Parts: sequence; structure tokens; C-alpha cells
Amino acid sequence: MRWDWSLLAPEYLLAGWAALMALLGLWGRLRAYWLGYVAAAGALASAATSLIWLGDRTAFGDLLAVDHYTTFFRVTFGLIAASVCLISAGYVERFLRHHGEYYAILVVSVIGATYMAAAQELLSAYIALELLSFSLYVLASYAKMDLRSNEGGLKYMLLGAFSSALFLYGLGLIYAVTKTTHYQGIAEALAGDLGGTKGLALLGLSLIVVGLGFKVSAVPFHMWAPDAYEGAPLPVTAFISAISKAAGFALFLKLMVQAFLPLHDDWSPLLASLATVTMLLGNLVAVHQRNIKRLLAYSSIGQVGYLLAGIAALSPETANAASAVLLHLAGYVISNLAAFACVTVYYNWTGKEDIYEYRGLAERAPFVALALSISLFSLAGMPLFAGFVTKFVLFQAIAEADLLWLAAVAVFASFVSLYYYLMVMRQMYLVEPETRERLGVAWPEYGLVAVLVVAIFVVGLGPQPLFNAAQEAASLVYQGAATFAALSP
Amino acid sequence: MVAELFQQYVGVVVATVAGFVLVGAALFANRLLAPRQATRAKGLTYECGMLPIGRGRLQIHFRYYLFAILFLVFDIEAVFLFPWALSFLDVGAMAFYEMLLFIIALGFGLYYAWRKGVLQWR
Repeated sequence: MRWDWSLLAPEYLLAGWAALMALLGLWGRLRAYWLGYVAAAGALASAATSLIWLGDRTAFGDLLAVDHYTTFFRVTFGLIAASVCLISAGYVERFLRHHGEYYAILVVSVIGATYMAAAQELLSAYIALELLSFSLYVLASYAKMDLRSNEGGLKYMLLGAFSSALFLYGLGLIYAVTKTTHYQGIAEALAGDLGGTKGLALLGLSLIVVGLGFKVSAVPFHMWAPDAYEGAPLPVTAFISAISKAAGFALFLKLMVQAFLPLHDDWSPLLASLATVTMLLGNLVAVHQRNIKRLLAYSSIGQVGYLLAGIAALSPETANAASAVLLHLAGYVISNLAAFACVTVYYNWTGKEDIYEYRGLAERAPFVALALSISLFSLAGMPLFAGFVTKFVLFQAIAEADLLWLAAVAVFASFVSLYYYLMVMRQMYLVEPETRERLGVAWPEYGLVAVLVVAIFVVGLGPQPLFNAAQEAASLVYQGAATFAALSP
Repeated sequence: MVAELFQQYVGVVVATVAGFVLVGAALFANRLLAPRQATRAKGLTYECGMLPIGRGRLQIHFRYYLFAILFLVFDIEAVFLFPWALSFLDVGAMAFYEMLLFIIALGFGLYYAWRKGVLQWR
């Protein structure tokens, strides 16, 4: 076994950067506004450092894999964190206190997210999951004087602790059956003769699914999400909706492929039904929302439904569904961050977050209105935009896995989602504004929004590079699982 | 195989049940055997044998929670330091540096709290 500590360099960088952010906040020499840029630079540097291991297939001991999959997510998480830091810069300076700690916690949470994707073993995965969750609990209740933030944070923490307990119990049962915590060992044990313990293994697996379902807010475990999203400070909402979903699915996908594929026939229907409920309920309830944060919360629940459908469509033979899930995850993260960046810019100007307050935005701030429309179109899955390509590939993979009905439900849910996204655009473009006064220009935020919008079009029009990256990442996860293929009948 | 799995826990179950029975028996025997004579002095709050000062419902200042948190920092440190002190010679240089890093991290926490003015009673 090799304990090559240098493999973890991107995370050392993040940890050091977190300490630096805390110290910068402590000394107070730097204006709070610039802290966001410093933190973003650290996140980007970590993402860049991870490219050193591009194409490598190695592991830290037998705990953390450093391969394409890990690199894919290191880069994704680094970019998410950098974007959120940039979104935060203006907001945090104006509305929050203790700026240094804010960025320190944000940067630390990326480490947790990364190790969730990198873990090859249940306990490492669990610790990483808790590192991410703890950071997010603190961030969600960061507006100390705001009751809604406190309420959302408390709900998030209580349900998070509950789900962690379920997850841990699931891990315990799986360990009891397979006598190992390593994904590959679990797959080998599950592929063999289980005798009377199969029920126990399935119970453990269901508990793990429920625990992770809470973390990624799948229906019926989604109750905390709208309240936490609404209460949390806006950039934190953006961060939770992006990184906790991405990291949750990174872990979910790897776990299902590398550890539980031998039980595929048992969990596939379970996940398919979860996905159905999540897609329908998330999208239908979103129609009624009046607050843009709650709307985006429910829309992200709907997106979780599509991703769960993709996981239900995993199969032992091909890695198509796995790479489709990764691709859609990336597309969702880009579009969602763009939407949240626009919402934050508007909030910084006006302090308003109800959908009807967006009336006439097209006249008052045309660029924000246009960018928000583009990101919402992308979330809905309109052609030209990233959402279309990623959804198309995902639904195709679902249909190919003999789950045509599930793909049909997903398409129906997408149509529903188009309705409520269009309602926001109706407010912005068709309703008369309160005043015709222009809202000013926020150049730094505009720069970020422009980059994200360009990314939406790049993925929408030329998805090949991202698709290739997703495919290579997914195929590596499958190669890791290949050992069991020889064992299973 | 399930039965086999649970058989390992028979000892735990026995110990749990025996624990409850023993405590229950002790309490019951106490009730049966002890003489009971209620006097006013016996009903007083026990404060190291002295007469109690002030009322029983004493409020602790909320500000102490920060000290409690800082105490936890060192409490956890001790929990890890003692087993480490027993075995770090066997584990080698790595263990030394890991613990050094750990203590530096905790020291950083203390420094941060200090500079934030947590230790000042205002």
C-alpha cells in the first residue's frame, strides 16, 4: 500500500487557504469585498493543481482514489467554489458579518466535497460527507440576526444529523454482511452467495439510499430544502444547491457502481420510483412558488429527480448512464450558478426576492434579465442551451436501460418546469415595471455571469469535450468495479 | 448467517440486562433497608457540608459558552494526546509530525479566538 501524501496537494492548498482567509478576516487589513476574490483565487488554484494528476490512476493508500473521476470533481468543485466566492463578494460585504470565517468555511467545505468523490471506502466517504455537511450547516445560518436564516439552518442541521444517523446505520449493516468497508470488497461479497443475509444487505442499502436522499433532497426527504434555501444567505443558497448536490451524486454514483452493482436488480426499481416522485413533486410544487429562492429550490429538487433516474438506469454492461449523470450534473451546476448569480445581483440592488418583484426587469437591467432567462431556459432544457444537450443524453441513457416510462415521466416533468421558468420570464419581459429607472451596473458580477452564460452556450453547442471528460471519469469508475464482473453469474 | 451475526451480540444483551437488573436491585434494596427520617437539614442543597449560600436556582451567564467551547479544544487534544504518548515511539516519526500538525491546528483555533476577543470578559 502506498501512502503518497503529495497526492492530496490540492486539498493542502485549500486547507492553507482557509487558514489564510480566517487570518485575513482577523487582521482586517483587506477590505471585505476583496476577500471574495482572494478566496476565489485559492479555489481556482486548487482546481488547477488537481490537473497535475490528469490521466493518472493511483490512490492514497486504499482510501482515496486519485483518478479521472476525482480530477473531474476536483475541478468541478473548485470552479463552483470560485464562482460562489465571486457571487459572495458584494453580498457578504453588505449583508453579513465575520467575512473571513465565511470564506474559510466555504473553502474547507470543498475538501469534504472532494473526498466524497474520491473515497473508495465507506468510512472515508462518511467523514468527508460530514465535513461538507457541517460547513453547510454553519453557512446556512450565517445571517446571525436573521430569523429565517436561523430557522433554515436549524432545520437543515437537525434533518442532516438524522440522515447521517440513517446513513451510518446503513454502513453498519453493510459492514456486518460483507465484513469490509471498501467498495470493491463489498461488491465482491455481494456478488457471492449471500445466503440469509441478503435481506440485511438490502436493508443497509435502503438506509444508505435514504440517508443520501436526504442530503441531495430527493422526495420524500426534501422537506428541509425549501426552508433552508429560503433562509440561507443568497450565495450560500447557490453554494448548497450546487455543491451539496454535485458531491452527493458523486458519492452516490460511485457507491452504486463500485459497491452495489451486484444488487442492481433490487435497487433499480426503488430508485426509479424515488426519481418519479422527486421529478413530479419537485416540478409541480415549484409552479406555486412566489419566492425566487423557493422556486429555484423546488426546481433543483426536480433536477435531482432526473439525476436519480439516471442512477436508476445504471447497468452492469455500459457506463452510458453514469457518464450521462456526470454530464447533466455539470450542466445543471453551470445553469444554476448563473441563475443564482443573477438573482444575487438583483438582491444586492433592491433587497427583493419575490418573483413579482422582477416585473419589468428587462427594462431596468436588460443584461441581468437576459442572463437569467438564458440560465432558466437552460435549466428547463431548451435547445441551444446546456440543459438540452445534457438532458437529451441523460434521457436517452434512461430510455436505453429499458426504463422508457421513466424517460417519459422525465420529459413530462421538463415541460412542467418550462411553465414556471416562463412565469419568471413573463414578469421580467411582459409586465410593466414599477419605475423605469435603470438599476446601475455591477461589472465584476456581470463578468462572472457572462462567463457562466458563455459556458452554457459552449456546453449547449459543443458538448463534446465535457462529454468526453464525463465519459472517461465514468469509465474509470466502472473499471474499478470490473473485478466483480468476473465474479457475478 | 443472520443468526450467527446476532449471536456475537448476545454478550452485549446479557451485560445490558444485567446492568439494569443490578442498578434496579440496588435502588430497591436501598428503599427496603435504609431508615428514613426526613428533617429540614436533610432537605437542604448539599454544598460540601457547608450551609448553602443563595438560592438553588442559580443562573450561569450565557457568556460561559465560549469558554466551554475553548475548553473542548483542549479536552479533545488530551483525548488524542494520551494514546499517542503511549504509542508514538512504535509508530515512528510520522506520528510525531501528525500530532505536531494537530496541535498547530488547535493552537491556531486558540489564537483565532484570542484575537477575536473571546477571552475578554466584557
